[in-house]
Amino acid sequence: MKRLPALPLFPALLAAVLVAGCKPQAASPEASAAGAQPQRLVVFSQCNNAEPYRAAQNAEMQRLWDKVPGVRLMVMDAQQDSAKQISQIETAIRLSPSLLIVAPNERAPLSEVMGDAQKAGIPVICLERDIAQPNYTTWIRADNEAIGRLVGEFVVAQLKARYGEPRGRIVELAGLKGVEAEINRSGGAHEVWKDYPGIEIVTEAVANWLQSTAKDRMTEILSAVPRIDVVYARNDPMAMGAYLAAREKGREKEMIFVGVDGLEGEAGGIEKVRQGILAATFVYPLCVDKAVEIGTRILDEPGFKPDKVYTMTSHIVTRETLGK
Amino acid sequence: MSAAAGGALGSARRAARPFIGLVLVLILGVISSPRGAGGSIVFLSAGNLTDILLQQGEIGIIALAMTLVVIAGGIDLSVGSVLAFSASLAGLLLVRWAPHIPAGAQIAATVAAVLALGAAIGAVNGAIITRLRLQPFVMTLAAMIGVRGLTKWMTGNTNIDFGFDAAASARFSDIFSHKPLILSAWAVLAVAAHLVLARTTYGRYLRAIGENEKAAFFTGLPIRMARTATYVACGAAAALAGLIHAARSHQGNPNDGVAYELDVIAAVVIGGTALSGGQGSILGTVTGTLVLGVLTNVLRLRMVDSNVELMAKALIIIVAVWLQRRDRNAPSA
Repeated sequence: MKRLPALPLFPALLAAVLVAGCKPQAASPEASAAGAQPQRLVVFSQCNNAEPYRAAQNAEMQRLWDKVPGVRLMVMDAQQDSAKQISQIETAIRLSPSLLIVAPNERAPLSEVMGDAQKAGIPVICLERDIAQPNYTTWIRADNEAIGRLVGEFVVAQLKARYGEPRGRIVELAGLKGVEAEINRSGGAHEVWKDYPGIEIVTEAVANWLQSTAKDRMTEILSAVPRIDVVYARNDPMAMGAYLAAREKGREKEMIFVGVDGLEGEAGGIEKVRQGILAATFVYPLCVDKAVEIGTRILDEPGFKPDKVYTMTSHIVTRETLGK
Repeated sequence: MSAAAGGALGSARRAARPFIGLVLVLILGVISSPRGAGGSIVFLSAGNLTDILLQQGEIGIIALAMTLVVIAGGIDLSVGSVLAFSASLAGLLLVRWAPHIPAGAQIAATVAAVLALGAAIGAVNGAIITRLRLQPFVMTLAAMIGVRGLTKWMTGNTNIDFGFDAAASARFSDIFSHKPLILSAWAVLAVAAHLVLARTTYGRYLRAIGENEKAAFFTGLPIRMARTATYVACGAAAALAGLIHAARSHQGNPNDGVAYELDVIAAVVIGGTALSGGQGSILGTVTGTLVLGVLTNVLRLRMVDSNVELMAKALIIIVAVWLQRRDRNAPSA
């Protein structure tokens, strides 16, 4: 049998992949109309495109920067790997962008390279998560602990309405343990509940942020636990998974389901509230609108000095708030 | 005692090993189970036992085909990615595709397309392994990475929600998450795989190829065809599991199914199939799948820390394989 000429095939294959993978960079009409204005490069280093929250961030980022004339946005995906994100930022520094926005994967590993970018004279916006040293021009943060407290208070109010006093049995579905969002969304709620001896946390199961895993964990919990008043899932997909498990056992009316994230769109938590599946979701701000607002000012106003920190506020979404 | 009788006894003993494991975890389940209302044992309730079967259904179905792959001396690491691909593709076809055909036809077309593409991925794996002579580990590792990338690219990293209204996706969810359907699919496929392996010439080919590929080659067995077919079966099984997964979780999620291949391989190995090829049985694999399922259920009913659960799983794998090694190395009569 003749062997395939594999070696010459390889570069051809790579070239084909590259051509297919690159989206054509259509020059936007505003950009060409602006003409005199030089193209300014904004690099957004995203820690992990694969999460729905971050996919929403990317889409919003693209949409808002598209409105700013003369700006070209480049999004890099670190795929939840800090080492990869560091090397991508190093590459970004070589491109001398006018602005670097980083959604850091982890606190400690990203600190140094973000400092390197600053030393290279690039303004750096740290998005959402914190890093170990303040190596950024400005940090636009969301507050998970505040969200946890909001959840805690909402649950207390719901139980009061049901029993006349704050007592009841709570099941919690946790995301990845040790992650900041998990720690603080949990901590904030527990801080509220510790003042109410009638509130009992029956169990907490780890479902790694996933709807399918949450459904399986909740199925076992339903077998083992006779009565449940509230399911608090640390994100909306897990709350949805818990609902599906309860529905399969005909127990979905017995308890309420509360989630966090409050994303728009068909799979998002807001739609689930509208459908009456979730009693409430708590919006975890994308932080993107503020980032683009501050970023644009950094680009356009030479003397502009942003605050060191901007904290975005969360809010509750229930059927009532949607009705308004 | 004649040597033949001794050998038969030895193999019977070997076949019984996984069952001993299953009986042990079942006993553990009964002892440690929380009590329901009126002192009933929650673990033994019909609802809980069928929950275990249901939750292991996806792993169980893939493990049947994986057994054939492993017996023929191969391995397929791509099944978790193929599961995610199939679940996401089902989502795209059911939710985003709006053909002017009845919902039933759309569901049938979706199921056919997903199964066909799953089998096609298996065929590519098999063809490259047998024709270009890449090691199965390497080829299916590449497929695992590549198919995951394809899945995320195709969905734009987003979950595709199925909804609850009368649309095709909601009906699909109702059908494919139906307990009896999943359990009978698993059972029928198990019987079929068992018959193929134990009663057909093809089954003997697979054992011969896995035991000694060179000897099988000189005997003139159709090695390429036989091995490729195992990967096609594995791809199709992963696609079916993907359909069930999508229906059960009510969405197509490109990030699901991560590390499923390891659970599948663990089930196969606990069931007594040798990773070196040539030996193994479907009955063993089904038992291995149940051992894993019952064990996790027992721990979770007790609300044991999920990290402890992983350690317990590891222990079970080591002990199960060690017991089988001891059997194999012992003099047979």
